[in-house]
Amino acid sequence: MAEPIVQIRNLSKIYQQGEINVTALDNISLDIAGAEFLTLMGPSGSGKSTLLHIIAGIDRPTSGECRVQNVDVTKLNESQLADWRNQNVGFIFQTFNLIPVLTAAENVELPLLLTQLSKKQRHNQVATALELVGLSDRSKHLPRQLSGGQEQRVAIARALVTDPALIVADEPTGNLDSHSAHEVLGVLQSLRRDAGKTIIMVTHDPKAAAFGTRQIHLEKGELS
Amino acid sequence: MTISAFILKNALRNKRRALLSVSSVAASLFLLVTLQVALRELTQPPESSGAELRVAVRNKISLTNPLPARQRGVIERIPGVAGVTPFTWFGGKYKNEGGMTFAQFAIDPKALGTVFNDAKMDAAGYIAFNQQKDSCVIGKITAEKYGLKPGDRFSLESTVYPGSLTFRVAGIYSGTPDDRNMLFRQDYLDDSIGMPGYVGMWWLKVKSAAGMPRVIAAVNKAFENTSAEVRAESERAFQLGFISMLGNIKALVASLSTVVVFTLVLVSASTMSMAIRERFRELAILKALGFRRRELFAFILAESFGLAVAGAVIGIGAAYCLYTFGDISKMTHGIFVTFEVTPRIIGFSAMVAALLGIVSAIAPSLSVARMSVVNGLKTLD
Repeated sequence: MAEPIVQIRNLSKIYQQGEINVTALDNISLDIAGAEFLTLMGPSGSGKSTLLHIIAGIDRPTSGECRVQNVDVTKLNESQLADWRNQNVGFIFQTFNLIPVLTAAENVELPLLLTQLSKKQRHNQVATALELVGLSDRSKHLPRQLSGGQEQRVAIARALVTDPALIVADEPTGNLDSHSAHEVLGVLQSLRRDAGKTIIMVTHDPKAAAFGTRQIHLEKGELS
Repeated sequence: MTISAFILKNALRNKRRALLSVSSVAASLFLLVTLQVALRELTQPPESSGAELRVAVRNKISLTNPLPARQRGVIERIPGVAGVTPFTWFGGKYKNEGGMTFAQFAIDPKALGTVFNDAKMDAAGYIAFNQQKDSCVIGKITAEKYGLKPGDRFSLESTVYPGSLTFRVAGIYSGTPDDRNMLFRQDYLDDSIGMPGYVGMWWLKVKSAAGMPRVIAAVNKAFENTSAEVRAESERAFQLGFISMLGNIKALVASLSTVVVFTLVLVSASTMSMAIRERFRELAILKALGFRRRELFAFILAESFGLAVAGAVIGIGAAYCLYTFGDISKMTHGIFVTFEVTPRIIGFSAMVAALLGIVSAIAPSLSVARMSVVNGLKTLD
């Protein structure tokens, strides 16, 4: 196995729901190698999205360690975590989550507004990202003028425009027809293969999981 | 895309709501400016030129109590006094008007060129006013309102004295802050139906502003322990004392202004909260992409501030244009002659708008700051 980009040790997440403690993740340890396309599978409530959120730095564990590129993200404060996410993680969501008043290109440009890049540099990077997902001709379109598959490809372009090492995808094909889903998964696969990106994808769909290089299953917060 | 373009697109995403928000801010600030100007006009009437040299002398008991005409000689001999005139209220009704529509005062005709020299009139008017006992001079506003011109005759039925008097217009004056009054001759009033030997009050002109305190003290002292003690004061002090008779109008206008501002804050805060609540999920996405709390706060603040400033520009601008270029006397049927939107009022209203923008952004910003990305993403669109 190549050098791990993600190292998880004894990670637990317990939610307090009134008087009851709900264990979402129970003492998980896991390594994810660079340029790996890992798929997380498991039934609803198994903790796969929680694990993904912790790795991506948008949720915090109750205990344990989560190192991404040798940075323990559980130790970063809110502001440091925001900077870290901007530079190291690309997000793809099930519901695309594009900003409806912005064009495809503007949506892709959003994460770059936090960088020191010039307008021209931002423009070039946006053009490259849209070209990678095959949507150069849709750059001026608003999300409502795009199909579901195209919207998700714009979201992928937004995820990779900052050139992050890690791309996390939470059921990216959940809202797509099989044709569009196949297209999106193909794009993710090529990002791993051609650009060396590490991809972690949560999915319920075994067909989608088959696009990954490794599958792991979660059951009641534990790796099975 | 720039950050400002992003903020603008967000602010205008619901154009109808943005328009209504801006309109409500504009209407409220228009009202606030109007109230502030009205308050200023009522409590700080404009000073006429020469006011700094004028002294009002009235009966110490009350403004309605007359003063003996013999006081004039005593006042004229006080060092520093340049001119004296009686000033007696007539309270006449014009033709079929239900009430008094302009003020009339009996004066010494020579005072027009000395004590009240801010009133400008042609030479023929001065000559006629000095030569004809039944003549009068009328302010331009009133003359235009009733179509009066030199040579015209008209009668006024007094609400103070029995009967009516007929006057001949000697001239039309202008140049005072309130060109509405009619001035006629005290000797005509004395000879006709008035009370010979009594006047309403005195107006004096002093030779220098520096000498005014001494003259005021001397006038007050001159009639101490007489049957008609007087109260002499500067024109400014007299006006403020007169205004205080209106009651606590300042508190009333201040209360109305407070209600306007408070309502405005509630409306704006509610609008911003609604606008941000609708975008909770999007703001969670921005957080996930790396935008920090302070950047999201800046977005919300800029949007809120922008709406408030747009409303302020329209509201304050409309008030300024209306009251500066409109005929306020006609609009208010002569209640206000001037209605000046001063830089201070503009500044105050702009500051209210700025504070409004900031206050409206606080609650939604706190919600967004407290929101976790995971919970925000669970928010339904």
